[in-house]
Amino acid sequence: MAHLITWKVVWIACLATAVAAADDAALYREKIEPVMKAHCAGCHTGPQAQGGLSVASLADLMKGGKRGPALMPGKSSHSLLMQFVRGERNPRMPIGGKPLPETMVTALATSIDSMAPVLQSQAGGKDHASWVFQPPVDPKVPEPRNAAWVRNPIDAFILAKLEAKGFAPAPAASKRALLRRVYFDLVGLPPTEAETQAFLADASADAYEKLVDKLLNDPRYGERWGRHWLDLVRFAESDGFAIDGERPTAWRYRDYVIRAFTHDKPYDEFVLEQLAGDEMQRRPGGRENEGLIALGFLRMGPWERDTNFDAQLRLDWLNEMAGTTSQAFLGLTVGCARCHDHKYDPIPQKDFYRLQAFFAATRIEERPVAHLEVEGRLSMRNRLRQLEDDLEAANAAVKSLDKTLKAKLTAAGKKEDELTKFLNDKGSAVFTAEERAKHKEAAERATKIGLEMARFQPIAYSVNEVAPPAVMDVEPTYVLGGGERLVRGEKVEPGFLKAITGNSEPAKIEFPGRYRSGRRKALAEWIVSPANPLTARVMANRIWQHHFGEGIVRTPSDFGLNGDRPSHPELLDWLAQRFIEKKWSLKAMHRLMLTSNAYRQSTNHPESQKISEADPENRLLSRMNWIRLESEALRDSMLMISGGLNRQAGGPGMFFGVKDEIAQGFQMFKWYASDEEAQRRRSVYAFQRRSLPMPLMEVFDVANMSESCARRSVTTVSPQALTLLNGEFTAVESRRLAGRVIELAGAEPARQVAKAFSLVLQREPTASELDKALALWKGRQPAEALTRLATVLFNLNEFLYLE
Amino acid sequence: MNAEWKRRNFLFRSMVGVGGMALMDALNAATPVNPLAPRKPHHAAKAKSVIFLTMLGGVSQMDTFDPKPALEKFDNTTLDWTNEKRTDQPELYTKPRLILKSPWKFAKHGQCGMDVSELFPHLATCVDDLAFVKTITGENGNHPAATFLMNTGLVLPGRPSVGSWVTFGLGTLNQNLPGFVVLPDFRALPFSGSQQWGPGFLPASYQGTMMQWKGEPIQDLKPHGNLPEKDMQDQMALLREYNHSYLDGNFTNPDLQGRIDAYELAYRMQTEVPSVLNLAKENEATRKMYGLDEETTRSFGTRCLMARQLVEKGVRFVQLYTPSQSWDSHTDILKGHAKNAKEVDLPIAGLIQDLKQRGLLDSTLIVWMGEFGRTPDHPADLRDKAGRDHNTKAMTMFFAGGGVKPGVTVGATDDLAWKAVDQVYRMRDVHSTILHLMGLNDMRLSHYHAGRQMRLTDTGGDVIRGVVA
Repeated sequence: MAHLITWKVVWIACLATAVAAADDAALYREKIEPVMKAHCAGCHTGPQAQGGLSVASLADLMKGGKRGPALMPGKSSHSLLMQFVRGERNPRMPIGGKPLPETMVTALATSIDSMAPVLQSQAGGKDHASWVFQPPVDPKVPEPRNAAWVRNPIDAFILAKLEAKGFAPAPAASKRALLRRVYFDLVGLPPTEAETQAFLADASADAYEKLVDKLLNDPRYGERWGRHWLDLVRFAESDGFAIDGERPTAWRYRDYVIRAFTHDKPYDEFVLEQLAGDEMQRRPGGRENEGLIALGFLRMGPWERDTNFDAQLRLDWLNEMAGTTSQAFLGLTVGCARCHDHKYDPIPQKDFYRLQAFFAATRIEERPVAHLEVEGRLSMRNRLRQLEDDLEAANAAVKSLDKTLKAKLTAAGKKEDELTKFLNDKGSAVFTAEERAKHKEAAERATKIGLEMARFQPIAYSVNEVAPPAVMDVEPTYVLGGGERLVRGEKVEPGFLKAITGNSEPAKIEFPGRYRSGRRKALAEWIVSPANPLTARVMANRIWQHHFGEGIVRTPSDFGLNGDRPSHPELLDWLAQRFIEKKWSLKAMHRLMLTSNAYRQSTNHPESQKISEADPENRLLSRMNWIRLESEALRDSMLMISGGLNRQAGGPGMFFGVKDEIAQGFQMFKWYASDEEAQRRRSVYAFQRRSLPMPLMEVFDVANMSESCARRSVTTVSPQALTLLNGEFTAVESRRLAGRVIELAGAEPARQVAKAFSLVLQREPTASELDKALALWKGRQPAEALTRLATVLFNLNEFLYLE
Repeated sequence: MNAEWKRRNFLFRSMVGVGGMALMDALNAATPVNPLAPRKPHHAAKAKSVIFLTMLGGVSQMDTFDPKPALEKFDNTTLDWTNEKRTDQPELYTKPRLILKSPWKFAKHGQCGMDVSELFPHLATCVDDLAFVKTITGENGNHPAATFLMNTGLVLPGRPSVGSWVTFGLGTLNQNLPGFVVLPDFRALPFSGSQQWGPGFLPASYQGTMMQWKGEPIQDLKPHGNLPEKDMQDQMALLREYNHSYLDGNFTNPDLQGRIDAYELAYRMQTEVPSVLNLAKENEATRKMYGLDEETTRSFGTRCLMARQLVEKGVRFVQLYTPSQSWDSHTDILKGHAKNAKEVDLPIAGLIQDLKQRGLLDSTLIVWMGEFGRTPDHPADLRDKAGRDHNTKAMTMFFAGGGVKPGVTVGATDDLAWKAVDQVYRMRDVHSTILHLMGLNDMRLSHYHAGRQMRLTDTGGDVIRGVVA
């Protein structure tokens, strides 16, 4: 019945806008009511109204019946009424009668579309706004009946809601399922055989808690969780657009993020550094330098390098930054307000530009920043020197080759400066194919070294300020009509969102001088202020989302009125409070969530059929959600299981191999694949070129590098099957795994099968599975049979989904 | 229920708020599991499939279909551009420029008497099947931005392309083939590669599948390293058995079945795709029609023939690309345009005739366009190898086939074909027209993302009524 009440609220809201409502009432009386009376009222009025739907009034239509509202003002296509009379739904209405004439249907649709739209989100919107834009208060932890199930307050919140519906939580997951779940969750890789055995054998009461602590201290944790953040900040190592030029030192930002997670950098500090790392207090240990690298956040968006329109480019950049900052840290989509007042959230257009003004003094800059100790300062320097020497040698080789070839050219009566022309002219007999190939190879070697050198330069992909030293004289910011650069409206000062502060006063910004405006710092400090109602909730929700598969708010970067309503608002508030209380420590939050009983539930529930009718989305968390391995976890796991994983951490990314025809199709950049061993590094270290995502990653729903990605889609499409079953990567790693199995298990086929199962799935095969697998050994060499089995295991649902 | 649908469903749910819950449950019951299953159009569709012929780089309108005698008159003279300050390419007019007359002769063709230059002798024989629009305008004179605009309706990357939207709206007719196929030219892929046919915020099911005309048509269609058939079958059989037994007791995860189905489809595609894309089964006359016997026309011709084979088998949207920037004749347009026209003229004419003779033209919508048009003039210092620059103010395109009024021309440009002046249309109007002919209403085809309902045409386009039969 909830929708009945909320729709009354809508109706009242609609009356409040008296003029529109009056027009709509007239529209209804003239255009809709007569049709309803003539064709629908027979069945759809009075206490016996079919389907609970009465068509007696506009309010009744909007209230709707069992199927929901029949009429949505302004949205004919969403109105059930239209869908039924059009026959888009069965049965076509009027039931048993002739379809309404086309002209009548069109007239109905036009009338409905002409009505003032009533925001669906206003259904309860006021309540949501009073929650989302107000700082969280510490809620009372509920006291559910089954107190024994409550390990920590998270469970109390979850269980209370379940009990209110008369449901019980699912039983605990098996130890093996929990082991796999927490390994993939925290480090993105499966446990080894030894780790599996140790955990399964550990009967102590806190075996699981010890495991969680161990994994939180595992350096691979940063690689796994850093990637979540990189999704959010649209991390890429190229500009996008036509040239898609390389950003050779963007990897330093990626490593900064990984380090931040590994070392549990307090989230407030993490935010401050990414927005205002250049303005942070200098502390011992090269922190300012790290701050300059952290500013890469502001640079990660696409950038059209060859544009012939700098002013527009800058505006695009400012817009992109304001939009991404808001989405990533505040969970608000302010982008809409670039052109007009936000249609759903209380964000006036002016606020978009007040937010954008915080960046008005910022300009992009590649800044010299010596490599940090943690980046391997010494080895970086040595590598750079080595490359410089290599380049010199390579250039010399090209030069001497040129000299020889030029001599040949002149001997043939051609001009020296026609060397390139004749080298490219395959039809000419001046040079042999061998000479041409040799020259090409030498020239390419030099190019390649040049590219490589740029990646080791002590430069940060960063920003700087354009503020003059003494006076606060920054390029003014205007509200732009329709977002158009030339349509200037009111001039605005930097200011925080009115929806949160309740006023449109300019932000009080302490002007620090020294070529700094202090603007970004002011914004960052406001974002991480414990009084900010969004920051802690949004991040707590993101952490929850990655652990549980879905957020408490399922639109993690849209907490606004049109976003999802939290399933457990009190729990989210409680988590947000703990996050601040625990000094913004992510690891403390992980520990809290992972040690709850809610997390340890099975993915199956004995009463799942009954529960799923009431809660098809599992919003109440009566069981654990199924989680499919993301593309990175999938690829990395295959490498680890096969024994091929290269654990080299940090530094410039690796260039995966691409098919020649694809590599050669790119005109503006050269793609040189790294050597085979380097290609076997973890996926987070794959070079992120916007126009060339790794094919295996792309097909498994990797984040789009063009905009902030808060939630990857999980699609199930056939190209995934083709890639994972037929692709070269699977073929190579399956063969490698076969070799490893033979080495570990010896020659006995049954032991080989058991070993393969154990490595891939962390369990023994059943007798029937073993039998079926052994059929592969008929007529095949053991290595060949094992390779086939490995391919099958890598493609199993059981491998890709976490129970 | 498939995960992707669940996601959309929940987004919709969040959109309609609590009040819409019951509605969503109702929707749910009626919704197919397969995101690519055919869906009813919004209104009766005129065409079932689209073949989008993308002329990357920007074709010159005044050298192909929009003749201007004034260009002869003002050839080699300078025009005063000072009244045109609001251009998206301010740099263009900072240096002296000269008008260039078209180096090609025009003649009237067909019953409709359409003007076609010597560049398209074969297409000229088809003009009675074509509907030209001379007044398409763009927003940005840079190739990538303009290409994004043409494909996705926005000058920035990251949005779903028109092929994704159409497949999202209608599903596809053959579940053994991808719904949206892209046939690029591997000599130079479009800027930003697969982002030009990406699904953007739509589910990945609607992503374009790239096919090649040489070698394996789809990546990983065949197992790596020529695995014998027996090995493939044994693998598939074992995988099937293991995956099926894993279903037991795990019924809270409907994706397990979804993934089993995806493997079966992939397995069928392995045989279906090569049998559909079988050039050998085409007779000599057909091959000749598409120019498969000539080196110049072989690449585009083969892809045109593949496009026909694919729509014949129910593929919803096929997009062909010329090489990136191929039509981009800033200099030496005489050579550049001649080469590019030669590569596509015969194959496109062959495609239209072939579709017609097979009775497929009525159900196939052909769209021919580039990302923008070109200028009537060029920088004065390049007179000896003159070309034309980018022009967002006018471009000529044509539609043909399903639901298109044949033999018409819509809109007119000024005396120099520099600027559209009569019945001016935007890229989103082209999109709106494509959707309309496919039975989709551009305002109703929407997807909730980043806080609002997103559309290919954003706030809506105007159907180019003049080309609709």
